[in-house]
Order: sequence, then structure tokens, then C-alpha cells
Amino acid sequence: MSSQTQPPIEKKTIRLEINHRAVTCPEGATILRAAELNGIYIPSLCSHKDLSPFGGCRLCMVEVEGMRGYPLACSTPAAEGQKVLTETAALRDMRREIMELILSEHPSSCLLCSEKEECSGVLQTIRKSGVTTGCRYCPNDGQCELQALVEKLGITDIHYPIYYRGYEAEHDDPFFDRDYNICILCGRCVRMCQEVRGTAVLAFTSRGPKTQIGPAFGRSHIEAGCEFCGACLDVCPTGALADKTSKWDGPPDGSAVSTCPFCALGCQVELFHKDGRLSKARAHLDPEINDGQLCVRGRFCMPETTHHHQRARKPMIKHGAYFREVSWPEALDAVAARLKNVRPGEFLMAVSPDLTNEGLYAARKFVTESLGSPGLDSTARWALPGGADVWSRLLSLPISIKGLASAEAVLAVGLDSRFSFSVAGVEIRRALKEGAKLVTIDSRESNLARYTDHWLRPRPGGEGETLLALAEKMAGAPPESKGTREESASGLTTRDLDEAARVLGSGKSLAVLVGPAVFGRDKGGAAARALLMLAGRENTIFLPLYQGANTRGALELGILDQSAGGMRLEDVLEGRAKPKVIYLVGETPFLERPDCDYLIAQDIYLPPFEVDAFLPAASFAEAGGTLTNVEGRVQEIVQIECLPDGAIAGFVRPDWFIFSQLSSRVSQRGFVYESWRDVLRDISGHVQGFPAVPDRRPRRMTWKTDFRDVKASPESASGGDLVLLLEPGGFRHRGIDLSFVVEGLTELKLEEGFRLHPSDLAALGLEPGETLTLSWNGTEASAPVRADADLPPGAAAAWRPSAYGGLLHRRSLLPLFRQPDDVLSVRVASRKGKKSRKT
Amino acid sequence: MNFEEFEELKTHFSGEAADLIPVLQKIQGAQGYLSPESIRRVSRWLRISENEIYGVATFFAQFRFQKPGRHVIKVCLGTACHVRGGEQILDVLKRRLNIEPGAVTADGLYQLERVACLGCCALAPVVSIDGKIYGQTSVLKIQELLDGGLHHDQP
Repeated sequence: MSSQTQPPIEKKTIRLEINHRAVTCPEGATILRAAELNGIYIPSLCSHKDLSPFGGCRLCMVEVEGMRGYPLACSTPAAEGQKVLTETAALRDMRREIMELILSEHPSSCLLCSEKEECSGVLQTIRKSGVTTGCRYCPNDGQCELQALVEKLGITDIHYPIYYRGYEAEHDDPFFDRDYNICILCGRCVRMCQEVRGTAVLAFTSRGPKTQIGPAFGRSHIEAGCEFCGACLDVCPTGALADKTSKWDGPPDGSAVSTCPFCALGCQVELFHKDGRLSKARAHLDPEINDGQLCVRGRFCMPETTHHHQRARKPMIKHGAYFREVSWPEALDAVAARLKNVRPGEFLMAVSPDLTNEGLYAARKFVTESLGSPGLDSTARWALPGGADVWSRLLSLPISIKGLASAEAVLAVGLDSRFSFSVAGVEIRRALKEGAKLVTIDSRESNLARYTDHWLRPRPGGEGETLLALAEKMAGAPPESKGTREESASGLTTRDLDEAARVLGSGKSLAVLVGPAVFGRDKGGAAARALLMLAGRENTIFLPLYQGANTRGALELGILDQSAGGMRLEDVLEGRAKPKVIYLVGETPFLERPDCDYLIAQDIYLPPFEVDAFLPAASFAEAGGTLTNVEGRVQEIVQIECLPDGAIAGFVRPDWFIFSQLSSRVSQRGFVYESWRDVLRDISGHVQGFPAVPDRRPRRMTWKTDFRDVKASPESASGGDLVLLLEPGGFRHRGIDLSFVVEGLTELKLEEGFRLHPSDLAALGLEPGETLTLSWNGTEASAPVRADADLPPGAAAAWRPSAYGGLLHRRSLLPLFRQPDDVLSVRVASRKGKKSRKT
Repeated sequence: MNFEEFEELKTHFSGEAADLIPVLQKIQGAQGYLSPESIRRVSRWLRISENEIYGVATFFAQFRFQKPGRHVIKVCLGTACHVRGGEQILDVLKRRLNIEPGAVTADGLYQLERVACLGCCALAPVVSIDGKIYGQTSVLKIQELLDGGLHHDQP
């Protein structure tokens, strides 16, 4: 214990001499790092501070007294009393020679053009239209490490014959283009993919002059299991890898650190802007959450989400048969006039769990105080199956993302971290690299299956039951019901569970991750009970995951408490309630207009049905605010775009601002906020434990109500032809599915209809893309099929979205989305082969 | 390589990443090449990604990724064979089998290879078919051999 209270032992420092200057560095550093720490520049292309030494480019060679030859600074450890020279005539000559050799295989028009000096001066023209003058060979022009180094070394000519590799540029995969003619084979991307991400999609293939970077057997990145995290792009010193959306933007104007608005992990991102608009996002080196890593959404989806041409940017009001653009005062007056006359019991507002804390709080204040109505609901409730009291208990557990990497054992339940919660996957693999053990519970072969030490594969939908059985075993508690419950319920034997418990060990620090699908499938609440049971274990951290970026914020701000007296979304969906006025804030829980007199939508895109009033909300890039992540950190979203109202920026307003404007129009009890910071201060005054300013410290939630045990009713889905698994998801952001605006996500085809095991597809005689109709309880739904070898045979899977914006093409699946269960036994009603397929 | 064979192979190794190259050699020894399926199996077993395994395997000339042909024809192009017309023999074979050296015919029957020296320069030009050496060959002799469907005596 005493060692914990003492400050950590400082690493020994060593003294050496670089360029006749006495310097110090921590023990274990390389000469390159020692030089960097002391502000001495040594040229290098292949080394990177996050990656292991490679010694590929040879540019960092130095002279060390007493050492033979020219050792590489990036792979030679600094030693006490070493005398290093980094700039001598011999070194300079050799570096130039090496650089020329590198350039002999690298297109060099951007480096060595004879017109280069004059070129930048004539790039601007006074023509009316925007034209490109000068050469644009490479997307990296002006922000290229290689280019900078050539300039630094003063190379103006290449004495070697130029060799052009003649590869075809690869544009087939989504999100980024690859041109391996420009690649200098520094291997940074390969090391990033293997060492840091742990995915190892990229590798050096072949050797000698034929060496190339890519996946096995010339597969596409999609096939090879790429997560499209973009980490390889961020370390590439050349333009070989380029972001499709911002490829030709040139160097950005500036950047700011913000929070990713797409999921509950709340990764820190660096947002770049160009000409006042968001141009791209990169991971921020934040040691608390993502440590320089992101997922496909955070890295690639932001600019398109806020800049898509279908973005709705002006207030619109329906006048008779016309739906036309109006000014803000006119829109607000029209909406307020309707809201003033509505009876509190006939109003329902649905707020999205992707709104900022400020937006959610202002919405609640508007509904309860200004309108005096109990009608407030949110799809956040769908994202938290089991209810608010269960989740406030779960969120009071020690939750940590950072702690994953240092766990000695990891238990991952129903989690596939390829495209969602990728950062958690990276942290798990980091732990595995340090020798941790991994047990996975998943009926499908997740992307973690390759790393797992023990894979418990229950019947589809049995993840929660299995977790409970395992938790009982680990806690030493007697099984709730005697006999072979776990065998019948989950299809696993006691021996499997014993083995899993043995792998996880008893005294080790444990991290338990539970994917969002598990809670939804688990009607009996077994998963939640299992987590609470494991909470008694020492050294255990948790990560229960859910959909929606700010679902926890919605829970804490009391959005979910309101529905006690008021209507719920389900009531409207099932026709049990008919509100006169519905106000959708960033929500599109319908595909067709619900039955009501007046429908208001406030979002960043128009919903897929007719509305009576549309109020354009500001996106994450256009308004500041805070989001509460799964750990309870209240993190700031930075306003990166501050363009004036007009043709480009439109007339968008932050959600909280719209509510505050409406509030003074509908009642005496209006509220006025000047900025989102005012709202946050207001929140901290009313919600216990909420900070008054953005605060990145994790907070454990306090729970008031006792956890009411939901009676287990393990319904076995059997008797049908297939077991259909509905997975919560899609890529929801506010009212839309991101695949609607982000082209690359469409290419990943994640939400495409039904997925079946290839053997089931073959048995049904279906080809991928053909239509399958499934029926249950007298209802049916049809969609195209796709092969998914990760699923167990006998199962079919489909996404169940909670926001329908842009999913009109999935109309035929609507009956399926509507029914309450996540695991269904279904029959094959009909299948359409090639002949009847539309061309 | 079927499941049992692969499970049998596993028993000879401790299952560490360092076993990769000997494992690949064993697999190639058993089935003649490294198929995507076998690489996938090794990936799951040794916990190395398929892409990394492919990267390692393509570094070495000894590994093949295509099913070998039933008959392997190696044409020597060492100095002596080159001088005595090895190139013409290779040309004829290329045209007749309609493949490039290193490839296998579509029916899987023939695989054509060019080699640097077979160590019997006195017999130049030399062609080796399924390990049997044919010395002092000519375009005609090779054609005759192929016409006969390679009913040569197995050594």
C-alpha cells in the first residue's frame, strides 16, 4: 500500500552530448528522441513517436564516437556519455544521396519543377470562375513531410534514373484513396495498423522492387476487415493515402479540439477548418479516452454530415398547399401560435439523444415550464432497454474506457467493434498485447473472435443469460435455478463456463464490456443483473454500451422521467394516443407522418414525411455545447463554423436558442439564454452533480430508486425456420441514418436488408441481393439478402434503426422495426430468385 | 488440407507466432501451396492476421499461393542451356500451354517454371518434368513428349 502513496519513481536520466552540446534524456530513449526532446532536428521519414523503430528510410543516420559506421538515431538507444554528431559533411552527403534514391521511385514534379519558384505567384487569377492553375499532382502538396524534407536538404536534382512503378491508383474502397506510386514504403501505416490498432489489415507484400502495401491476396480493404479508422492516413508522410472528402482542400486554415458527436464514448477529435468550414477531423492525442484513435464515423463522417447538399438550412412553414421558406420571426410566430393553443395533454415532444446537454435541458424546460405539459419523450428510452432505473444503477458502476487497456482480463459480450465503438476494441487489443486474457460471449463471430482466448457461443440472443451464468460462477453464487439452466437457455455446457471463468482468473483486474445489442435482446434483464453481481468483485471496471451520443445526458437531465404522466412514442406509433401537436427535435421515429393536426420538426435534415413547420437546427459544427459520455464526462463540442447567415451557412440556430425564443412567445415564463454556457450553468443549478462548465472528469451516476428486478422470462425463439436477430443500430445521428448522407457508409452496406449465413443462403437457393420475405405472427417483411459468414447458421440478422431519416428504401422492413422483440422466430414466406428481380 | 490433417499438424507446434514459417512450410509440403482457407486457419490458430501472414509468405520465394499443376515442367535457362537454345524451348512451351512461367494451365495439368540451373550443364539444354531430367532436348523432343501426354516413367 505504501508504494501507492509515494510519487511514481522517476525514470533515470542520462547525460550525453549531441553536436558538442550537453543534453539529458530519460533512460531508454533513442538518440532521435533525445535529440527531439532537446530541440535538435534529425531528418527522418519512417520514425514516428507512437510506433516502434523501423530503420527503413536511413535518413536519421548519425555519427557516434566509438561506434563503427553510421548508426541510425531512430533505433540506437541513447547511452550515458555518448558523443553524437548529427550534421557533418559526410552525413549531409549521404542523406542527400539516400533522399535521391527515395525520390528515384517517387514522382517528383511537386518537388523539383523548374517553374516551382514562379508557380505560386501565378496561381491566383482574376477570372470570374474558380479555375485551377498550376499543377495539382498530389493531394498532399503543401503539407507533405517528404516535400518539406527535400527542401530542407536542398535537393534540386536527382542523379538516378527515375522509375515509375505504374500501379493503378486504388479508388474502390470507401473513405480514402490510395496511390502506391507515391508511397515511399516507410511502413508507418503498416506499423500503425499492426501495433497500435491491432487490426493488421495492412502488411508489406512481396519484396524488393515489387514490395507493396496492402491486404492479403489483393483483397479490398472492406473484405480484409479494415475498420476505416483512418489512422494510417494520419501517419502517412506522403500523399499516398488521401481522405476522399478533403483530398484537394490543401492545407487547412486552422484547427480546434472538440468532442465527437456520434457515440457515447465521446472521443476527442481535432477538427480542421478551411475557408470557415469544417474540412476534416483527426483523432486528438487524448490520453483519457481515445489516445489518438477514432472509428470510421469520427474520422470520416463529420464533414459530409454537416455539409451534405440535402441539409435543410432555412425555416419552412406550410401555408395551405405550399411549404415555403420563411424568416425566423415568421416561423417562430407561427409555431408559437399553435403551441399556445394546445392543451398540455395533447402535446408530445420527442427529443433526440444526440442533442447536446443544453439542447435537452432547454427542451425539457420549454415543455414542462413554458407549456406546462408532461408530453416529453425520447428514443433515448429505446436505447436504454430495461428502463431508467436499471440504467442509473448500471451507470453508477465504475465505468472506464482508459482502464480497458490496463485490465488483466477482459470479458466482451455481444460487441463487434469494427465500425461502432472501435476505440474500445483498440483498448482491448492494447490490453491483450500486454498479456491480458480475453473471453467473448457472442452468438456471432465478432471482430474480436480472432483475439479471444475463450469464445462462448450461445444460441442467438442468449448472450445475457450466458453472462449471468458466468457471473454467478465467478461470484461463487448458487445458480438462481438449479439444474442445467445455462445449458438449456444458452446452449452452453457447464464445462464451457468453468473454462471461461478459469481464463478470466479470480484475482485479476477485470474489464467487462457489453454491446448495445445484448441489453435489447435480454428481456429478463439478465445482463444488467450479471453486471451488478460482478460489481461486487474487486478490481472490476465496466463499459455498458448504448446507442445515442448523449443518452446518458438525457437520463441525467430527466428527459426520461417525464413520460410518467405524458404520452410515449410507442403510444403514438401503436395508435393508442393521438396528440394534436407533435414536435420532433432531432428525432425521426416514424417513416410516415404520424396522425396529428400539427407537426413541427426541428433538425438538420428534413424528415421523410410532410411537416407543418420546419426549424433548421445547427449541427455539431455550427453550435457549441456539451455532451455527456458513458463515463459521465461533460465534454465540450467546439463551434468550428462561424459563418454569417446566408446562402452558404443558411439560417440555422442552436436547439437551445430556438427553445428560448419560442418560450418567450408562448408564455410569460419564458427563459433567455445568451450562450450555451448560460444553459450549462442553469443545468448545474438544477441537476445535482452536473458541472457548471465543461468538466472532463468522469462522474459516477447516483441512483435513487431501487433496482426492481425484472422477472426473467427466457422465451425461446424456436419453431420457425430462422431466428431473426434485430440489432439496434444503423449509424444514427439526430434524425437521420448517417448512411443517407455519407456515401462511404453506403458502400459498407451495413444496413442492407437481411444477413444470413452463406449455408442458409445456399439452402434457400438465394443469391446475395435477391429478396427474401420473412413472416411472424401473421405479419411479414421483405428485404434483399446478404451473406454474412459471421452469423451462426440458422440465424438471420437485420439492423433496427431508431432514426428513419433517409431510410425510405427500407419501407418494406417497417413491420419488423415496429414489433417489440429483438429476437424473433420467423418463417420464410417467399423468396424471389433472379428471374423476378428488378433490373 | 482437411480439418483432421490440420488438427494433426497443430500437435507438432506450440502455437506461438514464431512457429509461423515452419507451419506454412508444412502446409505447403502437404497440399503443395498456401490456400486462402489454410491461411485463415493459421491466422485463427496463431493469432496473426491473414494479411500479416500473407506479407511474410510473399517475402519468401519458396511459398506458392496457387494450386500447383499436376505436371511441373522446369526449363533451364542457365548459361549453358541458354547458349544451346533453352529460350526457344521455353517459348514453345509458353505458346503451346498458353501460360507464362510461374503459372498453371487452366485445366490444372501443367505448371511451367524457368530455373537458373539444374546442375547438369553438360546435358544442355535441359528440361525437368516432374523431377525427371531430360538432357539434350530440343523443341521437337519436347513437343513429342507433350503429345504423348507425358507418359514418362516416374523416377
